[in-house]
Amino acid sequence: MPSKLFRYALAPLVVMSLVTATACGGSDPTEQETSDPSTPITISFFGSDASPTWNNMKDDVGQAITKATNVTINAEYDVSGGGTQKIALMTASGEYPDMIFPKGSITKLVEAGALIDLTDLIDKYGPNIKKVYGDDLSRLKYSKEDPSIYVIPTNAGVGQTTFDAGGGFEVQNAVMKELGYPKIKTVKDFENVLKEYKEKHPTINGQPTIPLSLNADDWKIMITVTNPAFNATGAPDDGEFYINPETYEAQLHYKRPEEKEYFRWLNHMYNEGLLDPETFTQKSDQYMSKIASGRVLGLIDQEWDYQQAENSLKTSGMAERTYGHYPVQLDEKTKDRSFQDIGAPVGYGIGITTSAKDPIRIIKFMDWMASDEAQVLNNWGVEGKQYEVKDGKRVVPAAVQERKVNDNTNFTKESGIGMYNFSVRYGDGVKDPGGNYYTTNFPEQIIAGYTDPEKETLKAYGAKTWKDLFPQKDEFPVKAWGAAYNLPAPDDPNYTVNFQKSQDIVRKRIPEAILASPDQFDKIYDQMIAEISTDDMKKMEAEYTQMIKDTVELWGEAPAAK
Amino acid sequence: MAANKAFNATRGDKIFDVCNTIIMALVLIVTLYPFLNVLAISLNESSDTVRGGIHLIPRAFTLENYSVIFQYQGLLQGAQISILRTIVGTIFGLISASMLAFTLSRVDFQARKFISTFLALTMYVTAGLVPTFLLIRDLGMINSFWVYVLPGVVSAFNVFIIRSFIDGLPYALQESAKLDGANDFTIYLKVILPLCKPVLATIALFLAVGQWNSWFDTYLYNASSPQWTTLQYELMKVLQQSTQQSGAVNANDMAKQMASISPESIRMAITIVVTVPILVVYPFLQKYFVSGMTLGAVKA
Amino acid sequence: MESTTKQASSRKRDQAASLNSRKTGGFWKLFKQQRYLYLMSVPFVIWAFIFSYVPLWGWLMAFQEYKPARSFFDQKWVGFDQFITLFQDQQFYLALRNTLAMSFLGLIFGFIFPVIFAILLNEVRGMVFKRTVQTVSYLPHFVSWVVVAGIVTKALSTDGGIINELLVSLHIIDQPIQFMAQGQWFWGIVTASDVWKEMGWSTIIYLAAITGIDQEQYEASRVDGAGRFRQMWHITLPGMRTTIIVLLIMSIGHLVSIGFEKQFLLGNNLVTDYSQVLDLYALKYGLEMNRYSYGTAISIFNSVISIILLFTANGIFKKTTKESIM
Repeated sequence: MPSKLFRYALAPLVVMSLVTATACGGSDPTEQETSDPSTPITISFFGSDASPTWNNMKDDVGQAITKATNVTINAEYDVSGGGTQKIALMTASGEYPDMIFPKGSITKLVEAGALIDLTDLIDKYGPNIKKVYGDDLSRLKYSKEDPSIYVIPTNAGVGQTTFDAGGGFEVQNAVMKELGYPKIKTVKDFENVLKEYKEKHPTINGQPTIPLSLNADDWKIMITVTNPAFNATGAPDDGEFYINPETYEAQLHYKRPEEKEYFRWLNHMYNEGLLDPETFTQKSDQYMSKIASGRVLGLIDQEWDYQQAENSLKTSGMAERTYGHYPVQLDEKTKDRSFQDIGAPVGYGIGITTSAKDPIRIIKFMDWMASDEAQVLNNWGVEGKQYEVKDGKRVVPAAVQERKVNDNTNFTKESGIGMYNFSVRYGDGVKDPGGNYYTTNFPEQIIAGYTDPEKETLKAYGAKTWKDLFPQKDEFPVKAWGAAYNLPAPDDPNYTVNFQKSQDIVRKRIPEAILASPDQFDKIYDQMIAEISTDDMKKMEAEYTQMIKDTVELWGEAPAAK
Repeated sequence: MAANKAFNATRGDKIFDVCNTIIMALVLIVTLYPFLNVLAISLNESSDTVRGGIHLIPRAFTLENYSVIFQYQGLLQGAQISILRTIVGTIFGLISASMLAFTLSRVDFQARKFISTFLALTMYVTAGLVPTFLLIRDLGMINSFWVYVLPGVVSAFNVFIIRSFIDGLPYALQESAKLDGANDFTIYLKVILPLCKPVLATIALFLAVGQWNSWFDTYLYNASSPQWTTLQYELMKVLQQSTQQSGAVNANDMAKQMASISPESIRMAITIVVTVPILVVYPFLQKYFVSGMTLGAVKA
Repeated sequence: MESTTKQASSRKRDQAASLNSRKTGGFWKLFKQQRYLYLMSVPFVIWAFIFSYVPLWGWLMAFQEYKPARSFFDQKWVGFDQFITLFQDQQFYLALRNTLAMSFLGLIFGFIFPVIFAILLNEVRGMVFKRTVQTVSYLPHFVSWVVVAGIVTKALSTDGGIINELLVSLHIIDQPIQFMAQGQWFWGIVTASDVWKEMGWSTIIYLAAITGIDQEQYEASRVDGAGRFRQMWHITLPGMRTTIIVLLIMSIGHLVSIGFEKQFLLGNNLVTDYSQVLDLYALKYGLEMNRYSYGTAISIFNSVISIILLFTANGIFKKTTKESIM
């Protein structure tokens, strides 16, 4: 039988040479076509995130864009896997759309030589892009070895001000009220509050009270279990690495002794019966339904992760069971750095590929999208339809606002608002020359959206928003490397493999350590540290350190914006 | 068994029947639960579902989850293509599997052993995403309807299932047809196919469900040609809309949307939307493999 | 009472006899005689060759350090390096162990339950009830694993999960058990969930096989005074024999590739030592990192093991039961 097998295995090899011969015809950039903005053009685009409300530019904003630029975007948005698979196939076949939003797969496209350097194009045809980014333009450079600009960041607004705190440690407003709004600065304070209330009320609505629950379902473990170890010990969140602000040395953050103490505290919480024993087995929806039942006193989470449950509390008349955010620390020596300034945002963005026939026309389009006119159009919609100008102020009519909230899907589909993020733009809190905000989110909205119990709690602490309870950004220096999780990770397999291994180890050992008896904690934690301190792991950390150092050097070349 | 009814049941038979009915009722309850649970949640308000505890009856009845799904454009176009691919794919698959099964059931067929081995191996060798993609591209099947049907025409699994059924048929039927001067194709058409109805119905069900449920081929090959979109692919988009978590851009809008609809509810409603058509068609296939048939009638 | 088995072998003998009687001429004569058989099979064989065998050139990637967008011949050839890396990774062996454990359990219970269910269903007398049970039993097949995993996790929860409440109220246990937190329960939970979800669907093939059984056999056995159990054992089961064996052989070939969806969705960080399976390992350490070559090496390993298992199973069944697929 095997001989037969081999005989027939030969045939594909012959076919192979035929297939590959046809598979590797690359295309050269043909940049020299001059681009007349008056001729209509269709630009193909691939976006790695899903965008099901995409309506082929038939919406109001889309039509306005086509009218102004003669550009039609033919877009395909990924529905699975964030673009990785589709982009892998593109690089294998050498056929790309004109414009692409590759997210993390940018390294693959760069390696394949599929993206064109935008530096000169921006210089010649990008006055608006240059205006928005200012001196921080050098931050867009890909790397020290390859200082080309491949993408224009579209994922975050420049100058973005966050109006409210959505993270930290959370306690139900009802708990704080009953205990007379005590100060909670350290994990001990937090623990005492939960404990005291639980002893007073062993059940809530007839079900057992859960003092603290966390969500460790898949990657959420990073949000509620491992990342808070950064914040509670006075370090900024840089993904999986702690970066020494002086030396730029990167290490897996679990190696910091203070974080070990943080996890020891979680272990203590578990052994005291204060941490939900199902923390590491429950799925997100179980976690959510516990919160929605109103009997989870405290959380350590980001608001977007438990939003649904909080909404449910509001609609079912348990508004007093919603949560406040507190900058809790392991001890009084440190400060929460959630609001430390990361400088001009870099990260995921849109690039132009070598398949594009007319890159000049495309960059002109992207530049137009960065203009004041286009930003207002994308954020506010069409004047007279989605907003009005009264006394020089942009106002959203009540009827439009009503639809925005209650019929969002259809409203977005018809208006196209927010769907045309094809270039750099300003974030919340930035005002245009006319004194209007570019975006439709402002601080007043946040306060108006609070429930009464939230307002009551905030009043007791003399604050207007939860953010007021947190250390503000002017208390810390600007981070020289921005936020490490925004930087493209090293693409070398030695790095990626060992990084994945470190994640596998951490995600297994941290829960094990937390659920151990207190005398076993040290043994398990130290074993984990040993497992993530092998030579391979150290090499991985060294590679990351180098990447951070290179970034700081690269960005430092231009005068710092401030 | 229709025939069994006429038979006078003994006491042992009666005990057996009672036990069997109880077992079947238990299976019925246990397997009905997940589907009813899905149905109940799909008909319940999202914000209420979050609280958990929905089992068989919706607590806060609403049709909103369905209306969210049906708001999307492209569903109708997708449904048409899905129906078309299901019909065409099932027919192609049945023809290939039954013909191959018939030839491979013939012990006297010279190439029997080679073809069996050749086909069996296709089930266990996988080439991977990239080479397959390049092949489909080089065959010019990207952005076309045929990519749904042609690559899956030959399924070794189906061939062997049908062959095992043919092996159970009396060979004498073929012999007598042969003596009457029928050629092999006529035997296949006139003798084998009519007898194979139960297994063909089964395979048709597998093929149809496979075609109806697949979205990955649309995603890989036809994502940029809206005229060939499929229902499942469009529904994937709907689901994505409700799951998107990375929308740091529009945190406020996201929060608002989540207030009204959650991915769980949408997923449940989608399950119902795609399963109901299968349930509607099912009885027509089921009659072929649930009721017993009498070979005697054919023999005579 | 072994009539069917006897019939089966005599059928084969008949066919072999007719084969011998015809085998008078040479290859070409027989070829001509069987031209219809060739016409009905060769086009599909070519078809399968194009879609299943031609893309296998991709296997050569396993011997390279493949980088996309570089021509195939400009790739760096690394010999067996990918395989060496694979065989040196401890996680690979853990994943292999878990895969085999769960697939053996799946093989045993995934066969026994549908077969028994098919036989019992066949004995149900009321046609409406029979069809209802059959229809309902396959419904969970259409409920995705995400949903099923949610239901299972909730049922096994210590916070009001139905299984724990039941066990406590029946005084089988004093304290709720954290089923999902313990590795030793995991394989069982996966297998049980799988049987629950897929039993009805798998039964359909057996039901089709049962309908192929000649009703006269039941009548004849009743005349002989056979009870229900004897009929099930001596008529129904042997009637499904070929189908069962064919499915068994094919499933044995699939022992190392069982997917990862259910393990991934039912698993959590406390049971990773028991839930990590090969297909997930291949995805995590291969494709998701764009290590195409490594991913291909794993799939070649899978294919080779599958083919060995397939030929072994086929050979054993051929010898012992005279049934086989090749």
